[in-house]
Amino acid sequence: MDAAEFFQYVIAGLKSGSIYALVALGFTVVYGATGIINFAQGEFFMLGGVLAVWFHSLGLPLPVAGIAAVAATALLGVVFERVALRRQRSANPLVLVIITIGASMVIKSLARHLFGPDELSLQEFTPGPSIDVAGAAVERQALWVWGLTIVAVLVLAWLYRRTKLGRAMRACSISHDAARLMGIDTARVVMVSFGIAAALGALGGFAVTPLTQTSWDAGAAIGVKGFAAAILGGLGNPVATVIGGLVLGLLESLSVAFLSSTYKDAISLLVLLVVLFVRPQGLFGKARRGKV
Amino acid sequence: MSGVKGSRTLMTPHLALIAAAVAVAAVPLLTPDRYVLKVLVYVGVNVIVIAGLALLFGHAGQISMGHAAFVGIGAYTSAYLVKTLGAPWLVGAIAATMLAAAGGLVLALPALRLRGHYLAMATLGFNEIMYVVFREARAVTGGNDGLGGIPYPEVAGLRIDTPVGVYLLVWGVALLTLLLVTNILRSRPGRAMRALHATENGALACGIDTVGLKIRTFALSAALAGLAGALYAHGVGFISPTTFGLDQSVIYVAIVVVGGAGSLAGPVLAAVALTLLPYADALVPGLTKETIAVMQDWEADIYGLAMIAVVIFAPAGIGGLLRRASARRAGEVRG
Amino acid sequence: MIFLSVRGLTRRFGGLTAVDAVSFDVHEGSIKAVIGPNGAGKSTLFNLITGFDRADEGSVMFDGASLVGRRPDAIVRAGLARTFQNTELFEDLTALDNVRIAADLGHPGGFLRSAIRFRLAPGERDGAARAVHLLRLAGIDGFADTPARDLPHGTRRLLEIARALATAPRLMLLDEPAAGLNGAETRTLIDALYRIRDEGVTLVVVEHDMGLVMEVAEEIVVLDRGAKIAEGPPLLIQKDRAVIEAYLGEECGDDGC
Repeated sequence: MDAAEFFQYVIAGLKSGSIYALVALGFTVVYGATGIINFAQGEFFMLGGVLAVWFHSLGLPLPVAGIAAVAATALLGVVFERVALRRQRSANPLVLVIITIGASMVIKSLARHLFGPDELSLQEFTPGPSIDVAGAAVERQALWVWGLTIVAVLVLAWLYRRTKLGRAMRACSISHDAARLMGIDTARVVMVSFGIAAALGALGGFAVTPLTQTSWDAGAAIGVKGFAAAILGGLGNPVATVIGGLVLGLLESLSVAFLSSTYKDAISLLVLLVVLFVRPQGLFGKARRGKV
Repeated sequence: MSGVKGSRTLMTPHLALIAAAVAVAAVPLLTPDRYVLKVLVYVGVNVIVIAGLALLFGHAGQISMGHAAFVGIGAYTSAYLVKTLGAPWLVGAIAATMLAAAGGLVLALPALRLRGHYLAMATLGFNEIMYVVFREARAVTGGNDGLGGIPYPEVAGLRIDTPVGVYLLVWGVALLTLLLVTNILRSRPGRAMRALHATENGALACGIDTVGLKIRTFALSAALAGLAGALYAHGVGFISPTTFGLDQSVIYVAIVVVGGAGSLAGPVLAAVALTLLPYADALVPGLTKETIAVMQDWEADIYGLAMIAVVIFAPAGIGGLLRRASARRAGEVRG
Repeated sequence: MIFLSVRGLTRRFGGLTAVDAVSFDVHEGSIKAVIGPNGAGKSTLFNLITGFDRADEGSVMFDGASLVGRRPDAIVRAGLARTFQNTELFEDLTALDNVRIAADLGHPGGFLRSAIRFRLAPGERDGAARAVHLLRLAGIDGFADTPARDLPHGTRRLLEIARALATAPRLMLLDEPAAGLNGAETRTLIDALYRIRDEGVTLVVVEHDMGLVMEVAEEIVVLDRGAKIAEGPPLLIQKDRAVIEAYLGEECGDDGC
């Protein structure tokens, strides 16, 4: 394999890795604020693409359709938290897991009923030929994917560091009780976190649909991979999560390059299981003795 | 579970099982319809899986989002041994059960260190990996096209190749499973499981070996799922990877949730009801094909919403409602 | 005879040393108290001894056997039981069933044997009877059929003690058993502690209630910021300057408590 080919695989890995990073950030934001894993995160990703296609088919220009899809999904995330999860805050975490699992079942099935069982596609944001970078072909859409991911990460970073809300979110991720003592409205933080997580997932779904198409069942696979990425980096740590996403994308792509493409989907699963078995706190998390 | 009055309360579930056995035996006498019997075979298979999952998840509180994978392991193991290698059916069934149990042991290892959603994710990952294996190991599993022509079960030289025969075999195993699980739940391991579910620290403080308990419960639960898989494969004759995917695992969890943790009767009733739902035309002759199609189409929504509703409004599920009803009746008797 | 021997027990959390080279002995049949200001490391010490946490350094010998590195349930089986500061009861089970589960300890019952049983094993009937007896001992047999979550606070603590007793321990570690109890309940607790000691169980008690400690304890260990600063009989501890400075001085006057 020559350098250009290898670079092509790296590009592919960074491309899918960015998407994993966005979905993974959704997991991390919710986990940081609530301590639970939102099993419906993959469905938020799916809705981003599916809703964008639908809005676009109604006549909305592409960027507007995308914004509308992200906003609608964010709203759904907020509503879901308020309606289904809010009252269960003190419940057994298993209860919350079950609620998010049930929600993902319903969302997925509703998507099939509303938008059909077929694959849906979007045109590229800026149609045109691929760009040649050091012998590898980079699709223009990939640039959009990276661009949007970087923007999202920067916005999130700004949110965390510079805004009152961000400080409140960070406080919550350390301790809800302490945050409440400081006068923080933890219920609002949780609600906003769900909205942000949904928006991040939807953004990923919207950005990648022109490349991979989407459909009602696109959520499950990406959800698992996004979680694997998040836990690889370190759940709850946004920077680590993004790195985890990129690393996972690269691992997947390189495994196709050097092993075989048959078991490509199994790579992220193996990563997930290995991390959970061996080092549940991820690459950058602190080791905690006792159970996770 | 008020204990000291003991032996009398020990009998009630056994009486229920005897009644169930009578009902099961009566069905083929009432209707020899192949379709009805086939649907009831599906129900029986699910009852076996759910009995194991109720033990693991309902009682011991260890969530498994990968139980369909164990069913698949059992199904493919038995099918491959019997059809491709020509082994006798009992060998296939036993191997299926053992291999699934081994899978359960493997999955029990992360369970020792993980809780709640982390465990859910680990078992989910396991299911997804097994799905990839089922899909890609074409030589053994036939890949996406599935594995067909699986021979009928054969016990002691007797081929069970009639719908009634398969039905009786599956339900015989199902009733036996329910008997064994009921006994386990009412004795020390069952109490230990409930203690573990309530608070692991409390269980440890009572001298309960939670490590051994988790491992054994996972293995037993997986073994039952594997056995169910073997029965399914030979009873239906054709298996494919989609039957053993994540969606099915989620449905199993939904059934136990709706049926109610801490109970066996609840999940079993839920399994019967929910498995029958998409085939309701087998029981209710008046239903049209369209109605059935609609119900099957909205199956996932029904499961998902039922799960959420139960967890929020009736956390003890059907089992809890049953218990409250029987407690009320007992109160009336005592007066 | 020295029953429990702790030597150099240390536990660090990052930069913080929660338990700092603590050493003390407990004599068989005695009642020993561990006191200290909040954050002194008392509960952590208990967790280290009972296996709920792993010590970084040090040793724990119980009746000649080392406990370090053993799982909590193994330590219970070795004869050392504990109660928790925040009770870890089985909330949905009745008081009787809570104790029964611990009483199961004496009677083996694997999956296989249980699966094919149709009647109560004789051991089980004994276990149930023992559970009733222990509830009576703790004075709470009136609550036998009440779910743990519905029990009043004082009863919950007594229930946890009864449950720990059901494991037939030779030594019991009680973590703040009197927390949240009023005067009358504390009296009941003290009587129960004497009864337990008279049954031959050695007791080690973490407590903030100085009245209880001074009355019940034969010997006191004082911890402050993870380290032992004093050890001795109550009268000496009361007068110990280091102790008064660290702890008693904040609560009592110069004439002691």
